[in-house]
Amino acid sequence: MSRIFKVGGLVSDVGRRTAIAVALALGVAGMSLPAVAGDEDLWPSLRKEVFGERAIVEGDGLIVIDAPERAEDAAIVPITMRVPPSVKGALKSLTLIIDQNPAPVAAAFTFGPAAGDGGGERRMTTRVRIDTYSYVRAIVETSDGTLHMAKTFVKASGGCSAPAPKDIDGASSDLGKIVVKSFDPALETTPLREAQIMIRHPNINGLQMDPVTRAYTPARFVKTMTVNRGEDLVFRVETSISISSDPHYRFTYANTKNNELDVVAIDTDETEFKGETRHKGL
Amino acid sequence: MEKLADRSRLEGKGAGRRKALAPDAELLSREIEAAHSLSRRTFLAATFALAAPVLRYVPARAGAPSALSVSEVAPGVFVHQGLYEEQSPQNRGDIANASFIVGKDAVAVIDTSGSFKVGRELHAAIRGVTDRPIKYVINTHMHPDHVLGNAAFKADRPDYVGHHKLQRALAMRADSYLQSNKLMLGDEAFEGSEIVLPTVLVEDKLSLDLGGRSLVCEPQKTAHTDNDLIITDTATDTLFLGDLLFSVHIPTIDGSIKGWLSLLDELATRKAARVVPGHGPPAMEFPGALDAERKYLSTVASDVRKLIADNKTMSEAAKTAALSERADWKLFDTFHVRNVTTAFAELEWD
Ligand SMILES: [Zn+2]
Repeated sequence: MSRIFKVGGLVSDVGRRTAIAVALALGVAGMSLPAVAGDEDLWPSLRKEVFGERAIVEGDGLIVIDAPERAEDAAIVPITMRVPPSVKGALKSLTLIIDQNPAPVAAAFTFGPAAGDGGGERRMTTRVRIDTYSYVRAIVETSDGTLHMAKTFVKASGGCSAPAPKDIDGASSDLGKIVVKSFDPALETTPLREAQIMIRHPNINGLQMDPVTRAYTPARFVKTMTVNRGEDLVFRVETSISISSDPHYRFTYANTKNNELDVVAIDTDETEFKGETRHKGL
Repeated sequence: MEKLADRSRLEGKGAGRRKALAPDAELLSREIEAAHSLSRRTFLAATFALAAPVLRYVPARAGAPSALSVSEVAPGVFVHQGLYEEQSPQNRGDIANASFIVGKDAVAVIDTSGSFKVGRELHAAIRGVTDRPIKYVINTHMHPDHVLGNAAFKADRPDYVGHHKLQRALAMRADSYLQSNKLMLGDEAFEGSEIVLPTVLVEDKLSLDLGGRSLVCEPQKTAHTDNDLIITDTATDTLFLGDLLFSVHIPTIDGSIKGWLSLLDELATRKAARVVPGHGPPAMEFPGALDAERKYLSTVASDVRKLIADNKTMSEAAKTAALSERADWKLFDTFHVRNVTTAFAELEWD
């Protein structure tokens, strides 16, 4: 499996991560499953590419990652990242990495003022493709700028080359539809509430072959999504082909009087998709 | 012709008795036959069975491939029953039902099992029954356990027949299917397996003439997969549902649970003398055979819908939905969570 790590001329961490993801997405046509999966330690080089020389504290409990031990459907593996209530202050960023995937950086979140600064467990759930047995890592950057990591091992196979979605013709009909829901907490004064975003998008990963031309279908996937509450940013995320088709996010954010969300997603074709919380009817 | 005559002689009065049975009794006796088929139905394998009763097959090096065991579920309709297992080096991919129908002029194969080697044994089973040309190899859908034996029929130069979406579906998945099956089967059992794409794509309804009987092929909307084909042998009124029908083996969803449930409603209004499932006994009563599968799928759908309405997550659904069905199915723990995941991803958009 060829992997490209060197992407020159990029300044920001987030920009660099995405560039790696995109470069990997375009560079791996013809990749093959390693015969013995997950045995190669890719983390040291990966870590250097994404975080440079910055120190990362592992397993100090500031971040927890939940994933199934064995992915029953490698193309839709739910991953939840949690920051316990004991952690105070706003979070700066959260990065989800799947070591053995062709595009290891699945998602890089940066948080804004509406994400909340504690008072409960902060959570982010999404669904990813996992190509082969791999470590899945969550690295959070806390308010003091330190990095903390949790990792878990997932047994999966074929998540990246699995054609998506299962019903190709049925899914293309409402491309870009975004459904956003905000759930009322049991207690009105709770500092955090939960919301969910679903985006209808095949997230074509460029690893699927066209039967007629025998060429790989060009990648087309959601590359960024911005979630705002009014003027305030909840989070912005840079995503790669490691996110499942029909991208899905479930997350906590600050509970206030106005909790309506606006979502803008942009895919690699530069098409913009918009969504907002449905006003709850009776 | 000669071989057919041979077969009647070998079967002796057994064949005569079967013909005299009323349809219902015949169906019952068939299940018994399936269990005691060695003397009557698998006479072809007898040579090998007698020589080495422990061996399931004879390695290629020892000479010609052995023949798969088959049951004649209706005159000229033969079914090999696959094991209720996942692919392994031991079962060599022999985990799905594979059938053939003998007409006056030609033979049609419906599904070719899960490896070249098992496909070759299916070929040997056909040649034990008849020397008529194998004109059609029909695939009920894309799954490897139904198509990887296709290559064993290449020398017969048949038409490979499938749903009009089968070609795209298989071509897109070819690499991953071959890789994963090679891993599951091991190099030896996998050897020779390849993806053979359909040469005849069924857009609407297609009738294949075998001489004195014809097979009607009908492509379906997305259900088990997006390329399910139903085949009817009009002469015996036998329905081949492929993996639109699972029995004993838990159903697996790789298409649309909503599409599958509505197709089951539609199928229940049809009439047929018997049905051959993709996984399950060689033949079953119709439409009663659909009941268990429909109960499973509708339980998954209603439980998942409830969880979605309660704002529960996919992971929570995977832990709770339709566990009441667990005792009724083999391989439940292997496929159920995946089914719930697939159903959740579909139904959350309702
Ligand atoms: Zn199937």
